[in-house]
Amino acid sequence: MAGHSEEHGAHTHPSDRFYWIVAGVLAVVTALEVGLFIVNEQHLIAKWLEVALLLILSTIKGAAVVMFFMHLKGDAGIFKFVFLVPLAFATTLLLSFMVLFSEHVGIAG
Amino acid sequence: MAIAERTAGTVSIPGVNVRPGWAGWLSTTDHKRIGIMYLVSAFVFFLIGGIEALLMRIQLGVPDNTFLTPDVYNQMFTMHGTTMIFLGLMPLNVGLGNYMVPLMIGARDMAFPRLNALSIWLFIFGGLMLYVSFLVGGAPNVGWFAYAPLTQKQFAPTAGVDYWIIGIGLTGVASIAGALNFIVTILNMRAPGMTLNRMPLFVWMQLVVAFILIFAFPVLTVATIQLLFDRHFGTRFFLPNLGGDAVLWQHLFWFFGHPEVYILILPTMGIISEVLPTFSRKPIFGYAFVAYSGVAIGFLGFLVWAHHMFAVGLGPLANAFFGAASFLIAVPTGVKIFNWLATMWQGSLNLTTAMHYAIGFISMFIIGGISGITLASPPINVQQTDSYYVVAHMHYVLFGGAIQGIFAGIFYWFPKMTGRMLDERLGKWQFWLMLISFNLTFFPMHLSGNAGMPRRIYTYEAEMGWNLWNLISTIGSLLLAVAFLLFLWNVVTSIRRGPVAPADPWDGATLEWAVSSPPPVYNFAVTPHVRSRRPLWDQKYPSLHEINGGHGASGAYHGERRDGFEHDTPPAMEPIHLPSPTYAPLIVSVGIMILGFGIIYLGDFGLIAASAMLVGLLTMAFGILTWVRISHVDSPHHAH
Amino acid sequence: MSELTTRTHGAVAHHTSLGVDNRKLGVWAFIGSETLFFATLITTYFVFAPVNRARPDFQDPREFLDIELTTVLASILLASSLTMVLALSASRRGDRRSFTTWLLATVGLGLAFIGGQAYEFNHLYHEGLTLSSSLFGTTFFVLTGFHGTHVAIGVIWLLSVFFKVRAYPDSPENVMDVEIAGLYWHFVDLVWVAIFVLVYLI
Repeated sequence: MAGHSEEHGAHTHPSDRFYWIVAGVLAVVTALEVGLFIVNEQHLIAKWLEVALLLILSTIKGAAVVMFFMHLKGDAGIFKFVFLVPLAFATTLLLSFMVLFSEHVGIAG
Repeated sequence: MAIAERTAGTVSIPGVNVRPGWAGWLSTTDHKRIGIMYLVSAFVFFLIGGIEALLMRIQLGVPDNTFLTPDVYNQMFTMHGTTMIFLGLMPLNVGLGNYMVPLMIGARDMAFPRLNALSIWLFIFGGLMLYVSFLVGGAPNVGWFAYAPLTQKQFAPTAGVDYWIIGIGLTGVASIAGALNFIVTILNMRAPGMTLNRMPLFVWMQLVVAFILIFAFPVLTVATIQLLFDRHFGTRFFLPNLGGDAVLWQHLFWFFGHPEVYILILPTMGIISEVLPTFSRKPIFGYAFVAYSGVAIGFLGFLVWAHHMFAVGLGPLANAFFGAASFLIAVPTGVKIFNWLATMWQGSLNLTTAMHYAIGFISMFIIGGISGITLASPPINVQQTDSYYVVAHMHYVLFGGAIQGIFAGIFYWFPKMTGRMLDERLGKWQFWLMLISFNLTFFPMHLSGNAGMPRRIYTYEAEMGWNLWNLISTIGSLLLAVAFLLFLWNVVTSIRRGPVAPADPWDGATLEWAVSSPPPVYNFAVTPHVRSRRPLWDQKYPSLHEINGGHGASGAYHGERRDGFEHDTPPAMEPIHLPSPTYAPLIVSVGIMILGFGIIYLGDFGLIAASAMLVGLLTMAFGILTWVRISHVDSPHHAH
Repeated sequence: MSELTTRTHGAVAHHTSLGVDNRKLGVWAFIGSETLFFATLITTYFVFAPVNRARPDFQDPREFLDIELTTVLASILLASSLTMVLALSASRRGDRRSFTTWLLATVGLGLAFIGGQAYEFNHLYHEGLTLSSSLFGTTFFVLTGFHGTHVAIGVIWLLSVFFKVRAYPDSPENVMDVEIAGLYWHFVDLVWVAIFVLVYLI
């Protein structure tokens, strides 16, 4: 795989128009999140479903920022490694602590 | 900017103004000098930690002793642990890594030389700050792991805990910056032809450790910030009576703390993986297994932290999981040990002092590993935790293991760093004295621990049945001190009068032996091209390469003259760029230290402390401006 | 692994093992580290959320947090990511005017976020939410406070980059400076995406 020491010259970058579109998507998704929050103050859907939907929506937003604004998509693999591995550790930290402090049977807080 | 010129076979660098004397050290960005600074300051802290240990051993030598008061004793064990781990072993590893990694990968310096200088200064200032605590009301006395809620203001009223927080905060930032440096250097600055699978195992281990470090330290940083806020700003993270959770501190601390022990041991395992092949005159057996088991240990190390908490009452599910994961880590560890043994098997052993230490490492580490296995079982652990059995275990792996590994590295690389050979005879005497006194000191602790002696007690009653073990340990520790003095004597006399060291005293295989001892400031006149895991052996013994079929080497053997790398050919010279020396990192570090002092006293002396913080920030800003200016000067791409 | 030897005549031989810029790799690794930093703060928040609920001094996030203001703050930060990447694009083109506009817009939006955050903190303080009033106060202010600090550092970083590169925004090193500052800035936005959903919405 050929490349250059200055890596910006090695491939084309998305256009400004593309960035505006991504920003538009982010705005729409944010609106959906807030809308879902406000609407469900009336408890129309189950809490767990609301949480799941919110997490999905925010993941879409986060992925868009990382892949397109931070240009992880299309960039060298090492950047993906160096970002995704700690993200996995972070998720493990959060989930395992929630379990350890959950006072589930067999697990005391 | 410094550009090299080649005249008559030598390379001179006008403009790399290494300032003479102290100024040179204060403004250095050279990884070799920084490496030496790490080694020297770490060794000083190590000796101080050793004195703290001796004081404890004197107090414990006989029952019902009154040599140290309880509070002073508590400060001793806190500072001993904190010093040995954060100010001793970690920087020893980083020092050897700093010096050797760029050389081993054929680079001229680390990726970020100025950031490297920031790391050493922050480390030094962080360590000094920790010790200032002795002068301002008392050192921290809460154990090196600072369990809540003992660390709360009402139970630890002196500023000791705050100095602990800020001290390891500064060294933590230094470590993270250093780890980032190692990651980028190792991933991105290897010589052409040096794939990851051809780089020395010491470099592999430094890479793994750097990743562990940047993932583990932030958790400690958050926990200590939360503790600081609890102590001074009215929060309640770890205050049980207000809903906080002391166990949360333990989880957060050990989530960092367990990977930390792999940060301590893995680089030394890398050293062993270099020393053994050289002195067995055989390539390391199972290179890939050794490399990847290091990765496995690094990864698994994040999943076992609660084995430090089996007695907390986490419940059977949690205990079972963490116990099983802890047993699992023995597997990659065992893989390494078997590969080391296989390396020595049928090798042509050259029993230098470094080799003695390497073999000593393996044997003592195995003992420490075995006591670790018993500790990994929750039911057994409940008996042994918080007893001297744990003290025995940790010292077997950290002293019998890691420190002996460091000694192996020092005896191996001392000639390269100083241009002198250490005295081998004195070295071997000192090795045996140290090995025997180490075992005298720490082996009885297995017995006193299993007989019920708790940790962190300042004295014990004569009827407990622990007297003999403690006496033996104390005698052993005094002999250990003698062993260290012998080592110091060896170093001091060898630097002055030791035999001059050639570039390659051990017939080594890796690139650091290709340059003079000590290396020129620019390391390599021409960046080497690497074709195998043993570039220097390729060059010295090209026929051997053919016989072995070339482990990992490129296949092509055209019958023309093949060098492991281009060392002596004078090709068209590329300009050599070295960063200019600068005081900027030192200034920024001073600013951070002043900021740290301000933070410590912000809760109690609001206005003065806030002013100190402001002064610190301004100093940092000035240092950063200087930094940016010097990088302007050095940068090769600047449009103007 | 890709190996590169760029030996352009007269310039510096710039071999890198992975073909990437050192500083860019360094910043991504730093971002990885910061991910763990914020994960720990968020984890602490979640560990204490149910405990807060069960206590006599319980303070309900839903009562204190104003979703309208927070949505505005979230939008400000997302918009600033857009302006940041537009600034980077302009710097690559050598379009000095657009670069200045977009980069200073990013700075302005960042300052607006900080201002809004300060306003929110002040409002909450007057409503009785403090560091010591409850577990919610403790965990909320430390989490969002450190995020705000990171935004502030980002603003300073962006301003320094602006002054350094504005004369020649398209030189390769200057473009890299902008890109790196941008990566940090987007990360700070990313953390807010997480905080927004986890703290304010859930």
